[in-house]
Amino acid sequence: MKSALSVSSEEKKGRGELSAFRWQHVIGTDLLRLGVLATACMCAALVFNQLREPPLSLTYVSKQSRLEQAVARVVDSEDKSTENIPPATATATSQVIGLPEFQQLVQSKRVVVLDARPEIFHRLGHVPGALSLSREAFEQDYARWRSVLEPSRDQLVAVYCSSASCEDSQMVADALVKLGYRHVLVFKGGWDEWTKADLPEEKQQ
Amino acid sequence: MNRLVENRWIESALRWLLGGMFIYAGVVKFISPQSFADSIATFRLLPPQGINLLALWLPVFEMTLAVSLVVNLAKKSALLGILLMTAVFAFALASAVARGLPVDCGCFGGHGPSVSQNWVSLGRDLLLGGVAFVLYRHALQKSLPARTTVIGPRVVASP
Repeated sequence: MKSALSVSSEEKKGRGELSAFRWQHVIGTDLLRLGVLATACMCAALVFNQLREPPLSLTYVSKQSRLEQAVARVVDSEDKSTENIPPATATATSQVIGLPEFQQLVQSKRVVVLDARPEIFHRLGHVPGALSLSREAFEQDYARWRSVLEPSRDQLVAVYCSSASCEDSQMVADALVKLGYRHVLVFKGGWDEWTKADLPEEKQQ
Repeated sequence: MNRLVENRWIESALRWLLGGMFIYAGVVKFISPQSFADSIATFRLLPPQGINLLALWLPVFEMTLAVSLVVNLAKKSALLGILLMTAVFAFALASAVARGLPVDCGCFGGHGPSVSQNWVSLGRDLLLGGVAFVLYRHALQKSLPARTTVIGPRVVASP
């Protein structure tokens, strides 16, 4: 009886080891498959990227640096075309405003309103009369609105983005200051605060 | 939860839900890799050489795993992949919370960096990870008996 028990416990131990082996084997197989899939996905992602217009560079460039590069290109193009850019004054900065002030300016139409969000969001809804000057496509958008913006760099310009936590409005405002605009306002609450206050919105057709 | 996933319909529903969410998350990131790269950069965990590669690879990987989960092809590997991904996301979000860093999760598109949003993202990630874990464990248990050779106790005649 004793020997029978001892054999049984050994077999139980053997079965446990076998089960552990099976678990490791199954998880190992899953991990191996996953590794193959991950490699295939990386190859596919690189191919897809080459099909993009323009492809994403393989080294990251920060938002701030990309915007600075865009501003430099705008300055270069203006140098060539007009040779007429007023230099940004050392004291010129943007000013943050709240909803009541922004609303008043929009209603009185005394301000050029600029939407710094990506264009897709602008299409879905924006502050009445706002022009899309997205942070991401600053160079192209600025070229589009040059005729509206450049006649007077002394005019009031107000920039907003999606919400108080987004940085795009401040970044675009700083870029405009660098381009010589003297009265740049930032509506910090952005689209989020505007819609929460149930104020009128406009949609692009 | 373990008993619930024994039901074929509930298991399928959870699988589709998980797959659907990851397809959506993948598509949003795939459409705008630059915006996703900006979100990854807010975590300050990767060098510039790694950020864009991750932003390009992750959406494709997410969509592939999610589709294979929905169509029930290589389900176990897909679940393990999603489980590992949620674990990595949770680690990144937890490290951001610990450092008090306002990050933009970028999980379902960018919404701007926010500290309070970190907790919401972490909670949602742990929930998805939990579902993936339960489904993976169930799939693993189901796969084992069919492949294991059961050795019965040897009958030893007692003297």
